[in-house]
Amino acid sequence: MIVKPRWSVQLRAIMRKEISQTVRDRRIMFMLIVAPLLQTVVFGFAVDFQFDHVPTLVVDHDASAQSRQHVRRLLADGTLRDAGRTSELVEVERRLQTGDAAAALVLPAGLAHDLAAQRPAEVQVILDGGDPNRAVVVAGAASRYFGETAEAMVKERLAAHGIAPPPLIRATPRIWFNPSLKTPPYMIPGVMTILLVITTTLVTAMGLAREREMGTLEQVLVTPIRPVLLLVGKMTPFLVIGCFDVLLVLTAGVWIFGVPMHGSLLLVATGTVLYVLSTLGIGLLISTVSRTQQQAFLAGFLFAMPAILLSGVMTPIRAMPLWLQVVTFFNPVRYYVEVLRAVLLKGASFVDIWWRLLALLGFGLVLLTVASLRFHKRVA
Amino acid sequence: MTRPARFLVRVGAMASKEVMHIRRDPRTLYMALAMPVVMLLIFGFGVSFDMDHIPLVVLDGDRSATSRALVRAVTADHEFAIAADSDETTALRMIRRGQTLAALAIPDGYQRELTAGRDGEVQLMVDGADGVVANQILSKIDGLVRAESLRRIDLAAEPPLQVKVFTLFNPEARSALFMVPGLAVYLLAIAAVLLTALTVSGEWERGSMEQLFASPVGRLEIVLGKLLPYLGLGMLQLLLVVAVGAVIFDVPIRGSTPLLFFAGFLFLIGMLGQGLFISVVARSQLVATQAGALSSLLPSLLLSGMLVPIENMPRVLQALSSIVPARYFVHAMRGIMLKGSGLSILWIDLVALAIFALAILALATARFRRRLA
Amino acid sequence: MSEPSIEAVHLSRRFGSFQAVDDVSFSVARGEIFGYLGANGAGKSTTIRMLCGLLAPTSGEARVAGFDVKSTPESVKASIGYMSQKFSLYLDLPVRANIEFFGGAYGLSGPDFVARADEVLRLCDLEQERNAITGSLPGGIRQRLALGCAILHRPAVLFLDEPTAGVDPVSRRHFWRFIRRLAREGTTIFVTTHYLDEAEYCGRIGLMVDGRLVALDTPAALKRRYVPGQVLAVRGRNLAEAAGSLRSRKGIIAVEPFGAGLHLQVAAADWNADSVAVALTRAGAQAVEVEPGEPTLEDVFLAVVARPREAHAP
Repeated sequence: MIVKPRWSVQLRAIMRKEISQTVRDRRIMFMLIVAPLLQTVVFGFAVDFQFDHVPTLVVDHDASAQSRQHVRRLLADGTLRDAGRTSELVEVERRLQTGDAAAALVLPAGLAHDLAAQRPAEVQVILDGGDPNRAVVVAGAASRYFGETAEAMVKERLAAHGIAPPPLIRATPRIWFNPSLKTPPYMIPGVMTILLVITTTLVTAMGLAREREMGTLEQVLVTPIRPVLLLVGKMTPFLVIGCFDVLLVLTAGVWIFGVPMHGSLLLVATGTVLYVLSTLGIGLLISTVSRTQQQAFLAGFLFAMPAILLSGVMTPIRAMPLWLQVVTFFNPVRYYVEVLRAVLLKGASFVDIWWRLLALLGFGLVLLTVASLRFHKRVA
Repeated sequence: MTRPARFLVRVGAMASKEVMHIRRDPRTLYMALAMPVVMLLIFGFGVSFDMDHIPLVVLDGDRSATSRALVRAVTADHEFAIAADSDETTALRMIRRGQTLAALAIPDGYQRELTAGRDGEVQLMVDGADGVVANQILSKIDGLVRAESLRRIDLAAEPPLQVKVFTLFNPEARSALFMVPGLAVYLLAIAAVLLTALTVSGEWERGSMEQLFASPVGRLEIVLGKLLPYLGLGMLQLLLVVAVGAVIFDVPIRGSTPLLFFAGFLFLIGMLGQGLFISVVARSQLVATQAGALSSLLPSLLLSGMLVPIENMPRVLQALSSIVPARYFVHAMRGIMLKGSGLSILWIDLVALAIFALAILALATARFRRRLA
Repeated sequence: MSEPSIEAVHLSRRFGSFQAVDDVSFSVARGEIFGYLGANGAGKSTTIRMLCGLLAPTSGEARVAGFDVKSTPESVKASIGYMSQKFSLYLDLPVRANIEFFGGAYGLSGPDFVARADEVLRLCDLEQERNAITGSLPGGIRQRLALGCAILHRPAVLFLDEPTAGVDPVSRRHFWRFIRRLAREGTTIFVTTHYLDEAEYCGRIGLMVDGRLVALDTPAALKRRYVPGQVLAVRGRNLAEAAGSLRSRKGIIAVEPFGAGLHLQVAAADWNADSVAVALTRAGAQAVEVEPGEPTLEDVFLAVVARPREAHAP
């Protein structure tokens, strides 16, 4: 009974086995189902770059009604929080050092008198520069408030003399997409990319390495299953699970964190599938250089760390030096997260992102081909 | 020989055996020394928020000398670079494509208004997707426009009220000073936990651990003997990353260097202990590796304040971060390097690190016994 | 029908500078049980892997079940079954899942396959264990499963690489009974083993030393050729020293330790049981008992492998 095997039967057999094994392995199920949700929630809540209620010390040497009013008004919008009063600069330095306070507002003695007498006055803002993002926010709030106050004063005085106030340039900010500048819409796409790296790269690399380690790979290779069928069969379930995870995270992101969906879901799906081609290719490549599951895990991990940190997921690519920016051109993670953010947050259409999709396709095909060739060579 | 002396001799024997293993396995050495340094170099450059030549689209509906002067003022010191001079539709399209981050819209009649003595209104349009970048851009342009505004009217008299901003510890507001100490801690944490998780669990799998217990070596001696060489490697790593930070990224050490290394010492013991604990509890090297990676990566990345500010987190997560040793070491590193903080300020961090180290070592040692029984 | 089931012609394989298999040629007829013996590292597994299409030969050719191994490896694989030395099925899956998977791998499906799967489970005495997780089963039962998975598609040739290693003697017996039945039904069996008592079941045996096939014949013929003298089994005390003194004497072909005693190979013309006993006692042995014995394949093995200079013939 030598049957010429039909590839559809063989493929089905591989996929059923793969799914069966995955479902039985509690650790993998955890990584594939629970971990995505956990990551979404943790990242969504933990990562918040919007600074408000920044603890600010007040050193009010003037202690006049006007100085108190200025302090009240400055603290009114909640960007800064009153962290207490002190009269010693030494105390300010100490509390900035411990991290107790992040800024201090110093109002000099005689401020109210100077202002009344129309003498130029100066207030000081002392910032903890340790966190530059936060420092920018505080400095900006102070400059804006005192700048506007100064302008108002100038207008008043000139009006008092009957002089028309000089014309100023007013800049009105208008924020496109995400007007409240919340962080989660920006981070959730990042979580999606990280997740796919874990499910498709790490898990497939380890799965293949495990077959090699346990010796089952040889037994499979002795059957008439063609290696390419083996690869497709092994990777397809994880492709599906990866896409499912992405959907899960997106749903959670929309429900819990209000991530917008301004663009076409079809584009998101296309980008996801193309991205997964690359991540699967990398997973396959890693498995060809690993003899054990542990090597596969470590290699995947050591690849994932830089690939994620240098992809624009957490910090902008524009802030990188030029040579690193060039390197990111070869990082599929970068393209996927850009596609996600452009489509979900900014409503980008195909015309806007087509070259990124092309890049993903290109990388995916190259990686899969190279990896498959290596796999073939290793088993021949 | 006295008991303490015997103890030391046995610990020394365990430690030198471990050193031999390390020397024979170049991969361990690579991971211990090369990986953190290489990664620090890459991430130190790559993980930053400092941008310049930010692409800006100019929507000059006025096309007058005054409007051009404003544009020049905004782009003068290269914080912004003109990406295009066009209309709003184009600007929006460019934002969608990631080709620009902001647009300055000067309406028709701008010069006329100003000449007539009325305020000139311009609009600042910003891509709000990345909030941090958007904030930066808004602040910067706001400042530049305001400066140009004042320059225009040539305020012979000084403005009545000025703000002088003193930025302590990091006057140039460089990301590197914020990032590099945090990255160093992050990398050290991962390397330390992974190393011990890998090597010790490897011994369980090979069965050599059982052999050890057949000899008169006590549990504590084994634990200490295994940790010591990796502690040495870890301190070497710390030295390397601090040196890289200082030389390549110009991160100063304004405080006491011995204090820095003492804090590092306590931190490493804790991390190595964590790896040890994992490898005692895990039943296979594979599980130990995964658990080690995940338990060191996520807390160090998210909950240590290395990248993401702790003060912005919901209370639950803030509480969680108080049991993450990396948080205290990040605080100490930044304190010592940037702020010159001393013992009087950092003693809390040191105590926290010490408590964690002792607790995890005790836990690991206790689990050893259970594992064998 | 007259075409050999397995044919190797000047088969060679080298790894870098190491010649693992050196110019091996043989052919195996349909339904034959062919044994392949040799020390560890002699090249047996490499030969099997080449015949299975797992490894490409560096030079030479091989045909298995009528298909060329180099040009049509898939057809070869579809016609053979393989049991590897180390257990290589999925430990985390239940027995029936392994059967279903490997059946599917060979393209079997549908109600025909369901019937065949049940049949194989019955043949291999695995019906009780069909839902048990493979990893929880003892070694002997696992081997039955491995064999079962290898015969699902009724292969023309079965390759068995040390199939009974570590299995208890009763299970081994059952196993060989099954193998011989398969052979009677027309399956060609190519087996390697270290259990030389099992090798007696083989129709012909090939002996490999350092990659070369140095002997190929029926067990009887091999014994006649390589153990030409009379075999004597010796028991007693202080044998080692005494035997040493005998080695150099005329007519003593070989002296080998055997169990607690010795096997001697002597020229029948010069010695017999009594004379040997006397000689040993005179040399210091005590309580000597000498009995004529039958040459075993172990003697052959020792003669060929352990004393290559004498045994090799080009």
